[in-house]
Amino acid sequence: MTPPRKLSLEQWDERWRELHRGGLVEPAYGGPLSRHVAEEGDLRLRHLAFDPSPAALRLWNFLLTENQRLRQFRAGGGRLVGVMKDLGTVPVMAFALPAVRAFYPDGAWWTPCLMECGDGLFQHADRLGIDASFCPVRAMLGAFETGGHFPRPDLLVCSAGAVCDDFSAIAQRLETLGYAIAWWEMPRRRNPDEGEPACTLPGGLQAPQSQVEGVRDELERIGNLLGGLAGCPLTDTLLTEGVRRANQVRRLLQTLRNRVYGSPGAPLPALEMLVAEMLAIHFCSDREETARVLAGLLAETDRRCREHQWVLSPEAVRVFWVNPVADLRAMNLLEDWGGRVCGADFMITHALELIPEDLPPCEALARTALADPMVGSTRDRADRIIAQCRQFAAEAVIVSRIPGASHCAREGEIIRQRVRQELGLPVLEWEVPSLVDPLLPTLGSRLQALLETARLRRRR
Amino acid sequence: MDVFYTSPWVPPEWIAAHGFQPRGVWSSPALDLRAAPLAEGVCAFAAGVLRLVEARPAAGFVLTTHCDQLRRGFDALDDATGNSTFLFNLPATWQTPTARRLYQAELRRLGRFLVRLGGAAPDRSRLQPICQAYEQARCRLRAAAGTCSGRRLTELSAHYHWTGEAKSGSEPEPETGAVPLALVGGPLPPSLWGLLELIEAAGGRLVLDGTEAGERSLLPQVRLHPPGEPENQPTSTGAPRPPDTEDGVEILANAYFDALTAVFQRPNTRLYQWLRARVAARQVRGIILWHYVGCDLWRAEAQSLREALGLPVLLLEADETDGHSLRHAGRIAAFIECLR
Ligand code: SF4
Ligand code: SF4
Repeated sequence: MTPPRKLSLEQWDERWRELHRGGLVEPAYGGPLSRHVAEEGDLRLRHLAFDPSPAALRLWNFLLTENQRLRQFRAGGGRLVGVMKDLGTVPVMAFALPAVRAFYPDGAWWTPCLMECGDGLFQHADRLGIDASFCPVRAMLGAFETGGHFPRPDLLVCSAGAVCDDFSAIAQRLETLGYAIAWWEMPRRRNPDEGEPACTLPGGLQAPQSQVEGVRDELERIGNLLGGLAGCPLTDTLLTEGVRRANQVRRLLQTLRNRVYGSPGAPLPALEMLVAEMLAIHFCSDREETARVLAGLLAETDRRCREHQWVLSPEAVRVFWVNPVADLRAMNLLEDWGGRVCGADFMITHALELIPEDLPPCEALARTALADPMVGSTRDRADRIIAQCRQFAAEAVIVSRIPGASHCAREGEIIRQRVRQELGLPVLEWEVPSLVDPLLPTLGSRLQALLETARLRRRR
Repeated sequence: MDVFYTSPWVPPEWIAAHGFQPRGVWSSPALDLRAAPLAEGVCAFAAGVLRLVEARPAAGFVLTTHCDQLRRGFDALDDATGNSTFLFNLPATWQTPTARRLYQAELRRLGRFLVRLGGAAPDRSRLQPICQAYEQARCRLRAAAGTCSGRRLTELSAHYHWTGEAKSGSEPEPETGAVPLALVGGPLPPSLWGLLELIEAAGGRLVLDGTEAGERSLLPQVRLHPPGEPENQPTSTGAPRPPDTEDGVEILANAYFDALTAVFQRPNTRLYQWLRARVAARQVRGIILWHYVGCDLWRAEAQSLREALGLPVLLLEADETDGHSLRHAGRIAAFIECLR
């Protein structure tokens, strides 16, 4: 049997026709991928390489139709919550309520990449005083002002405190422009002092109980706002059910990650894994469909693993990837040059952990929120990365820098030092802009040097 | 022993009450503001703080969480500094009891750190006179803000944050026809006061120092009565206040929490209320926004300042010089020229 080969957009259209001739039945949002170029202006798709499975087709179509889903939901009388910054917690609460859906306006981060900057969102942000010294999330400002990328939410919620300065500053600018925001405090996670009451967070870290209680109180306050929006209080019963459903998604994703990252060859490409992981934070506006999409990817993965069908050569260098990439094409490039992602920390690792179901639900969510790798010490984050590198036998680490991002000023060096010290692995810090194309020659040589170093270590 | 603090919203009287000399880090003559050569996007001020921590192993340091640069700078510190450094979690929100409790808890935690550092936990009879002395110093400086030049107030504030004392102000400045300006933004250490000279040389007159450790940092009004006397502390903002208590730490925490007026707060309306009132009262005609490369919190405010205050804003990036840079001189001169 021939191993699955990644497809270009054009090739996917041909394959789509073939699949349809063979009887493929798609969900309502299905269709050939190239229509997103024509209808939405998602030009970047023309330069990406995709997994050839129907499961991947469903994943991409699901991702790229979120805006339509949000508008339909609103048209049907549903209420929309724009959740900003916390990455994974408030959406669990919002989805627990009837007729409320949450989405991340932060997702506009990727719009300039997807539209190859043809959207003008960065220019819009420039005009609003937020220039290229900020991270690509500044596109969100333009998206709010133009109104073309997502509907205006009925409620905006944003975490503050131990969050990046870029987002904090941009969200504040948004509020100054007239978009009221319900802020909630996220303290910087710290280690408990000696003798201080503490608890274990999902993922194994410890935090002082007082911090958990503070976050729980804040989440309860936000829960009351959400209940007001829904016209129905967010009771513990509803929230417990919401947690249970969110955990179904997280379980699927955990299994998928373990299978893909743990297998000797790559059963799925890095790009599809990045998109799949992102579904965990807000379910792409449809929690139940998220579960079906992930189940499809898992079934495909299992089949390929059974049949030893790898999308990349098993010889590919196993790379652990840190931070999301502003240009999705970067994930393709790594594979083109002989690498493969065998684990990742896209800053949302807390949204992949199961939310404890044996605790009152707000307490459980508070613990999960505090497990966010970005609210604690970068050293904690580095330790988790090291543990995952060990688990998935990584041979190299890439820390992708996000242009303008305040946390990138320090974290790369801290992670590099600790990974070197503990594992001796080569580490590359690589700034990925929203469009990597002009930088390809230099990026290529740096990436190849990293992979070559990793291969040399194999021979020793 | 010196204990440095990186935000004026950490009460120096609490450090002093434990037997240490509090030092606002921005007032330190040893603060080295070279831009970090390697790590792009590193704020020179935050980098200078880290260098100072490493250069002063015998001192204590209270870093604050108010920005990514300092928060993650703390993570980057050498393990050897672990016993002498403390990260104070300054809440970003301020309208909820949770934020207040967080601030109170942090002050108590700081107290325990200072005891570990070799200090003595103060009782009320020790805390009260120290709070009173600091309050008197701030009170004198607040009064001076109405009369002396902005430049003089900058010097006085820096001296206060270095020694805890208030030097006397100066006579009101005669009207010279110079353009009244506000300086707003990140910390302005003495090594960069050349900027103030540039402003004056170009025909400007600083009437409002809204930098991090300038006039705003004098806001807290701490009235800790001697043991046995009832507390009667007015609120500065009208925010809900918990019941009076004999607990001096809580009173101190509440006074600072209620006065906190900073760019990192969410929402940052207090900062704008504070600015609006003074800009109007002092007839400010233009604003210089001073910020360090990599400081998103201040940089993002340029447009909002223009819109909210209806005044022209000159965005000046801190560079590696003493503030006298030719580039700055030209831009300041052009800005003031346009305001005449
Ligand atoms: S700075 Fe980093 S964490 Fe913050 S919005 Fe940008 S990418 Fe996300
Ligand atoms: S100047 Fe800005 S970035 Fe630098 S330490 Fe201060 S708040 Fe942080």
